[in-house]
Formats: sequence, C-alpha cells, structure tokens
Amino acid sequence: MTVIEKILSKKVGREVTDGERVWVPLDLVTMRDFGGPNAILGYKESFGDAPLFDAKRVAITFDLHIPPRNEKVARNQQICREFAKVTGAKVFDINQGIGQHILWEHGMVQNGNTIIGTDSHMNLLGAFGAFATGVGTTDIVAGMRYGKFWYHVPKTIKIELHGKLRKFVSAKDVILWVLKNLGTDGAIGMAIEFAGETIEPMGVAERITLASMVTELSGEIGFFVKSEPSVQSPVYEKTYEFDVSAISPQIACPHSPDNVKDVKEVAGTLIDQVFIGSCTNGRYEDLERAAKILKGKKVKTRLIIVPASTKVAQEALKKGLYEIFFDAGAVVVNPGCSLCTTGHPGILAPGERMISTSNRNFIGKLGKGGEIWLASPETAAASAIKGEITEPSIL
Amino acid sequence: MIKGKVWKFGDNIDTDQIYPGKYLPLTDKKEMARHAMEGVPDAEKFIKNVKSGDIMVVGKNFGCGSSREHAVVTIKGVGIVCVIAESFASIFYRNAINLGLPVIECKDIKLIKEGDDIIVDLTKGEIVNPDKNENYKGLPLSGLELDIIEANGLINYLKKQK
Repeated sequence: MTVIEKILSKKVGREVTDGERVWVPLDLVTMRDFGGPNAILGYKESFGDAPLFDAKRVAITFDLHIPPRNEKVARNQQICREFAKVTGAKVFDINQGIGQHILWEHGMVQNGNTIIGTDSHMNLLGAFGAFATGVGTTDIVAGMRYGKFWYHVPKTIKIELHGKLRKFVSAKDVILWVLKNLGTDGAIGMAIEFAGETIEPMGVAERITLASMVTELSGEIGFFVKSEPSVQSPVYEKTYEFDVSAISPQIACPHSPDNVKDVKEVAGTLIDQVFIGSCTNGRYEDLERAAKILKGKKVKTRLIIVPASTKVAQEALKKGLYEIFFDAGAVVVNPGCSLCTTGHPGILAPGERMISTSNRNFIGKLGKGGEIWLASPETAAASAIKGEITEPSIL
Repeated sequence: MIKGKVWKFGDNIDTDQIYPGKYLPLTDKKEMARHAMEGVPDAEKFIKNVKSGDIMVVGKNFGCGSSREHAVVTIKGVGIVCVIAESFASIFYRNAINLGLPVIECKDIKLIKEGDDIIVDLTKGEIVNPDKNENYKGLPLSGLELDIIEANGLINYLKKQK
C-alpha cells in the first residue's frame, strides 16, 4: 500500500484503495484569521450553538494579518476569539507564527494524523507523516461539528532523488528542479512519495520545503519513504528518477513556479527587495543558512527576514542570528506568513523585483507590477548582498 | 436525470472570472448570483439570457485559482443545474459537491455546442444529445457524491445522517 492508503485505511478501519471516496475521521480541524470568520459564521448558521465534535481538536491560527492591519481584519480576529471562548476551541493568537509550524511545535500534529485546514499549504505536514489538506468553508463547518470529511483516495507518484547535493544547493533548489521537469500540472490530484539517498540526510526543515511545494505541482500531499528492497513496493501511478548531484542553484522566474532556470542563467538581473521566510523556508535551519552568507556583509537591497514561528525566532536570537541580520542591514519582522500574504506590508512598487524564498510568484501577488522570483535562502541572501541575482558560491 | 440548454465556456476559467474578487464582501445569495461569470470575456449574452435549469459545458481546469466557495454559490444562484467540464480544479469540484451542484467530467465536451438541449444521467455519467442523436460518456459520480448532491449539500446530508 502507498503511504496515503495506509494512513486512510487505518483511520477508516478497512483497506482503502485509490479512486475510492471515503469518510475520513479527523484528528484536527484548523482555520486561519482569513478563512476562519467565514467558517464560524457558517457554523452558527448551520448548527447554532451546538458543540464542536471535540474542542481540543479545533484550532484557529492567526498567521496572515498579524498584528491586524485594519479594522476589518481586527474584527475577523475578534470573531475567532469570541467563538473560541464560547466553544473551547484553541486560538493561537498574533504572537505565534505560521499555523502548520506552530501546530507541529505544540504537539498537535503526529505521524498518521488526518487534518484539514483553510490553507492551501496544509499539506506540508506530510513532512511529519501526517495527512493534511486545504479545503473550503463548508468542509471546515462540517468538520468542526462531525469530526470527519469525505475524500477521494488519490493515486501516488514516486519521485526518487539520487546523489549528494553540491555545496550551496538545498531542498528548495531540488523542488524547483522537480517543478522545472514536471510543471505546475505535474501531479494533479496525486499524492507524492519522495525517496532516494538525497532526502535521507534531510532534516525537518528541508522536508517541509519539499512537501510544501507539492501544492505548486498541483499535488495533494507529499510523504517521505525509505526505499527498502526487501519490502514489496506499492503500486505507483508513475515513478520519476532524478539525479540531482550535479544541479546548481535554481530560481523560478516570474510569474509561475515552474518557470525555472539555473541561477547562473539570470545572474546579474538587478533586484530591489529580498524576502527570507514563509512556510516553505522559514525554519531555523533556513535562517542559519542565510546567516552564514550574510555574516559580516552589508546588503544592497531591502532585506526582510521572517521566522516561521516564535520558537524559531527565539532560537535565532539565542544563537546570534539576529545580530548578523541587523548588522547586514535587514529588517526582521514578527513570525507569520508575512510577505507571502497578498496585501501584507512589504509590497512592491510597480516595476520592482523581489527574490522570495516562498512558494508562489503569481502576477500581482505582492503589488501590481512587481515581480517575484523564487529561490533558496542561500541564493536570496547572496543576491541581497550583491543587489542582483547571484549564485551563492561566488561570494 | 437532468435536462437543460447548454452554455459553453473555454479552458482555465478561474474563480476570479466566475466570481470577481471585488464582490467577495456580498453575502446575499440573490445578489451574489447577479455576478456569475462576470469576469469572463464575452459573457454578456450568458449574463443577460441564462435561465434557471440551464447547463454549463466548460473546458479544462474549470474553477482553478482560489478556494472561494462563492464561485459555486453564484453559478448555482443563477440557476445552473449541472456543470460538465473536460476537467475540474479539485477544490472547485469538492466545493460544488459540498454545496449540492452536480458536476461531471467528460472528455467529449467539444462535441457539445452552445444551445444544444442535453440530458445528463449523473449515476451513469452519461450525456445524451437527442437532437443530434449522440451519446457522450463522462465520469459517473460516486454513491457518496450522489447522496450529498441529493441532500442539496454536505451540511444537509450530515444532518440527516445523525
């Protein structure tokens, strides 16, 4: 069986296979400060003051507009707090960080769990062996009351990654390389299992980077498996094998995550702003890799750094990363989704160019007429120092 | 069995074309229905003439983009009783079922023309075009999906189960 079939079979209580529609019992139902208020209004409309299926398994994470930037979003957060007070749901307020990251840090995400949320990158929790997916308001409303949702068991494709990565090449370059090869429709409706010796030394941060961008491949979720020759292999829809030992740093040019080139092909392109953070590249390890490059240097662009969570920020502070960032001339923002949120402060002026370590570079995402280029923390940091797109190795 | 007159649209119609973001603050369903497909170029004829009981036949990746359920609410609100697509974006597909709007995937949509009167069998996934004496095979809905649609949406369905 594939990983997704194993997880769902265990939850459903019988063997399920791809193509089936099944009712899946849920371990966790989550909302954010954007999708949450609509789901709460929907809940009240559908169920009045009926209790949640399990208050300990409903969480609201404020990660988009924190602290609130106008009255409307302040009111939305108020609606969430009031609902939580009445129902017993847990609120992670404006002082915590990105939803998936803080839920995991608080022990609310375990291997084999089933989770729905209002974020299209919920699936990064596949890095921890949990099944999580982004859904619409009605699924959240029903999930809060009944603790289940229906799901179409997906087929699985396997992506085997071979070879040891070169210096200054990391998980972000690998997933951009995969996007270059498969395209943004490369895994429509599919689960992905990543395998091979390239991923074996990868820690939590790098696995999150790979898993989060399964969304950009139009996939459902990504898991990590060990190739064990003695065990019978599950049936995959397709298997891809990539030798990534020779790849150089990658960058997604505007305005699609699969418009990927080698950084050296576009080196020298002038940039105005750099963002290091997001659910894809906001862990301590990501910040540390950027800090190694920034240490003792000054940036020529605006550089905005955002830890994924307060826990990450505290570690970065303790280990001296903030000092390196401030000395280099960076702005360090409070933990959250930050510049990955449409309309968040940090917006680009028309014609400006930003390198971002996040996962999407759609047109207009951060200001009309601004360009977003996606790259690794290493490439982002090196480019901030030079003021132009730069391979981290030449510094 | 669903019977209705066809309105045709192309590929990659996203949720912002189906229901432009500027109307997101609206909450009245009748008001929301007034803006169905408003972001699609050349949709004036549809907007002026669509009637309750009509069917939409669309191309690839219908409903891609944001997860906004307004896209389904507005299509249903304007009176569309079924959407047939070459393929759907997965979140739109889920939202449609959850709000009780029948959706069918069919690879032969190019054979169906605007203004055709067609009959759709959701259980068999079959589309009949009696005037042309043609049959098209689509993907049948699962029992679970049919049950949710029959109950006019997920919430009603689950309430009845309890």
